[in-house]
Amino acid sequence: MADELKEITNFDRLIHAPSRLAIMAVLSACESADFTFLLNATGLSKGNLSAHLSKLRDAGYVRITKSFRGNYPHTTCSLTTEGRHAFDDYRKQYLAFAKQLQKQG
Amino acid sequence: MKHHIQSQVMNKQTDIEGLIRKTRQYEYVDGLRDLQMAAIMAFFVVFAWFFFTLTGVRWYLRLILFLKGTFGSWAPWIDGLLFLLIIFSVLGGSLWLMRAMRRKWLWQKSGWVKPLRWQVPRRVSVLSVVIVLGGIGLAIALFVTNRVEASFILRMLWVATGWAFGYTLVGVGREIGLKRYIWLGAVGGIASTVLLFLPLTFGQVAIILYGAWALALGISGAIVLRRVLAKTNQVNHGG
Repeated sequence: MADELKEITNFDRLIHAPSRLAIMAVLSACESADFTFLLNATGLSKGNLSAHLSKLRDAGYVRITKSFRGNYPHTTCSLTTEGRHAFDDYRKQYLAFAKQLQKQG
Repeated sequence: MKHHIQSQVMNKQTDIEGLIRKTRQYEYVDGLRDLQMAAIMAFFVVFAWFFFTLTGVRWYLRLILFLKGTFGSWAPWIDGLLFLLIIFSVLGGSLWLMRAMRRKWLWQKSGWVKPLRWQVPRRVSVLSVVIVLGGIGLAIALFVTNRVEASFILRMLWVATGWAFGYTLVGVGREIGLKRYIWLGAVGGIASTVLLFLPLTFGQVAIILYGAWALALGISGAIVLRRVLAKTNQVNHGG
């Protein structure tokens, strides 16, 4: 039990939060995605998504590009190399943890 | 406590994997990728007809003579340029059309995604090459031991690419969880084998093989696209 709790504390906290985890998962599966797609895929509200994206950008995990498509603003998000590595590490760590728990269960 | 953590982790696992799969599928769920691949296969049919059949070669020679008469010593350059232009038109044009359709109708409300550069897992790409080389090796071995005639090797050149393409579709289908690609790849790959045993020339095998792939991918893409367009219309009209 203690080992399992220790394992959890080793997880990257920034990614471990469910909303940010969802954002990172979506962005890890593509080169880039726009704000609308992230909204639909994660089910977050606009404000929530913006706040989480800002946190991830500040941590250097996500790159946010603002442009115009016609007359409309268009926000595109993508993972930075650092973000991709961080998510890959998180995924490996947590799949190993889940496997371990399954074995014990 | 332990079970709570376990169930939480398992729930999250499903979410992460599900989100990754859904995002990767997004590029394929509207059927436009199938149609683009069908266009490329159709281009191969024309290419094979032009260069590997007698009638095609005759037309090609006529074109060369026409270019020679019109452009003189520039003819080989113009011929090459024309060829490149056609390739880029097929590849670029189909990509442009796909993006325009998505921007205007299909992805207008669901959002825009730029897919990963390499959708085919490396293991699948490597095995596809092994399949092609293995097929050719097998044909040569059968020829050397006098079990087949020389034309079998030529037919195998195309059939092995059919197997490899089928395997690639199965690999991509399994990777991103798209059943129609698994079916298309498996049936197409296996069906390619039939061409080995028919009395066909090198060019005919290429035309039939790529024609069949173009047809299969075209039908698959059209069915999916029709369904998606109907759904999109329903959403746009508040249905």
